[in-house]
Amino acid sequence: MALSLPSGLVPTEVAFLCEMEMITIVPRQRLESIPMLSGKTPALRPPRRADLPLWLALLLKKQRRANIVPPPWLLPASLQEIVHLETNYDPEAFSPPPPPPMRSDGRGVARPYATTTRSGNEDKELILAPPFLPSCTQDAPSGYLPYHWLEIAETLLAHAADDIPNAPEVRALLRDLQEVRAAKMRASTRHLEGGGGVLNIRGVGAMELAESRGFVLGVVDGVRKLGASAEAGRREELERGDDEDESDDDMGL
Amino acid sequence: MDIDDILREVDPASQSIPAETRDLQALTRAWVSERSSPELLQYVHILPYPPIAPTTPVLTRRFPSVYSWPADGLFERINDRIKQQIERVEEMTGDMDPKTNFALIVIQTELERFKYLVRSYLRARIAKVFEKSIAATADLRARLSETEQAYATRHQALLHNHYLSSFLSAFPPTLQNLNDTAGNISMIETPDLDTAVFIRLLKETLVEGHGTDMDDDMDGKSGDIVILRWSDAKSLVDSGHAEVV
Amino acid sequence: MSYYDIDAILTDAEKVPCKFELDIPELGYLDNNPAQPLKSGTTVGLPLWLAELLALANRAPSSADEEAKSFVSLNLPPSLSNEVMSALKADPRAVPLRDQSHNFYGLGTRMLDLFEEKEICAILRRTFVTRAADIALHAGKAGATDDMGIGGGEEFLRGLEEWERKLFKKAHDGAKGSKEWMEGVKKHRR
Repeated sequence: MALSLPSGLVPTEVAFLCEMEMITIVPRQRLESIPMLSGKTPALRPPRRADLPLWLALLLKKQRRANIVPPPWLLPASLQEIVHLETNYDPEAFSPPPPPPMRSDGRGVARPYATTTRSGNEDKELILAPPFLPSCTQDAPSGYLPYHWLEIAETLLAHAADDIPNAPEVRALLRDLQEVRAAKMRASTRHLEGGGGVLNIRGVGAMELAESRGFVLGVVDGVRKLGASAEAGRREELERGDDEDESDDDMGL
Repeated sequence: MDIDDILREVDPASQSIPAETRDLQALTRAWVSERSSPELLQYVHILPYPPIAPTTPVLTRRFPSVYSWPADGLFERINDRIKQQIERVEEMTGDMDPKTNFALIVIQTELERFKYLVRSYLRARIAKVFEKSIAATADLRARLSETEQAYATRHQALLHNHYLSSFLSAFPPTLQNLNDTAGNISMIETPDLDTAVFIRLLKETLVEGHGTDMDDDMDGKSGDIVILRWSDAKSLVDSGHAEVV
Repeated sequence: MSYYDIDAILTDAEKVPCKFELDIPELGYLDNNPAQPLKSGTTVGLPLWLAELLALANRAPSSADEEAKSFVSLNLPPSLSNEVMSALKADPRAVPLRDQSHNFYGLGTRMLDLFEEKEICAILRRTFVTRAADIALHAGKAGATDDMGIGGGEEFLRGLEEWERKLFKKAHDGAKGSKEWMEGVKKHRR
């Protein structure tokens, strides 16, 4: 019964993860607050909007108890802007992820939404990250693709296309984005020949990672193994150099 | 409790993210890390509950502040809530009112999601115990929960027995070892800690990575997604500067 | 290297040329000459595990003024010869690596452990990364069409050695997984 899945989340697991993203709905029926394991849901009072996890929003949508408010970044104008950014701004890097959501700390100071401390102990703080950052609610910024952009977009198009303005255009723009970004993902491995120690791919999406993970990590590991003897030689030389420096110091004393 | 604690208590910013959400984030992070890192990680630590006075308010009883957060007692808190939730489901099942019925569907759906998370987390760990002979090294044993230790010990014993009765007993005793290191090859398989991983930076931090032709460093920003060796990533992950993705 | 790794075991069995440094009686059959002893200076292909052992082990000097010598001296296998390296330098994609050795890179890393060959190391890495980009392209196509034998790419894919085949499978599985998920979601479309 050992796990037969490869290391790293596979696409279906990524989809499970993205269903925890909060999304804004417009309820069509009243619904009292439900005591869930992940916290109480807000009481739903049409037409007052509310934020719910995507899986629950989809459940309400299926039962026609609510409509979904698409996140601002999924609107055609926003997607056009991102396509423009992806194709014209930097041929190698992904467009930047949304800025960290801020909120007032109650004393008029804005601070990152992501940080929550408990007992005032900075060491024990918990920093929220996707899917627990509100990057798909009505307040999310437009013009930025959040980490779960592709999964969220496809899921909403499949289950709530009637809530998305100009769905066919959104679909076409998403295809464009997928293509230009897939080419960037493939190109990223070209930088790996020298076997540098750190490669930043800021802005990449979860589904894109799941798709390319095995390949990209396979290339990195292969280059490392092919270069292992060269690396060991380089480290020996470095160490020898350090030793010489030290003996110089000794003489100085 | 000093003045800072009191101020924090009334501070809406630290209140607005419910403890339940934080626990779900912690559990989800533990699951993703275990699924994506080459070696077995420390089990999400469990501490026994301290004796609590019956007058303690429910909320503080469930989240005793003496415990550092997030990991300690995480599984117990979640298991506790799951238990309560199942009781609630049982109470609600008799009620045929369609409104309660929908709430029931929601609660049960969410229960299934939690079950999946917890089970997939445990399975990912067991798979690593299975693959690598974890029972053999003390350092790795310390990362297992009590039940996982029992599992690993029994698994190792069963496997050895199976080998013995299938073929190993025909060998002379000196060749029956399963932890031989002859010919510079250890029979005990260990994970390759230099395997590359993806991490997401949670804070601004210096990221240093060993490379073939050169070692790199970069001033990482929160939200950066970085490919580097697990051996270089581990300290960033352990200190909470980054998470495995 | 790990104990249960089949590829590592198969790599260990790859033959490498070894020049014997002494006459060995009754081993002439290794050189198709069973009546004679194996002559010093003869080159015979031996499996890597044995070759490594004989090359690294020192035999006792036969006389006081002779230095300690090994039994055989090792040479680079033909798959890492100058000709192959030049061909890879010219166009990494044009060489069917599988014909050189099923475990081309595995053998390469083992030889690089024994010989300090910076240029071979650099060529192997460039070859691996360049071919990987093509592997990703082909695997992406195969994942998207559910068809492992892709039009046009067969010749290149046939020439993949073991590391590359694994890489192809990883890239293919990734593309397939995400495509399957996408199709699953779209089925729900109303």
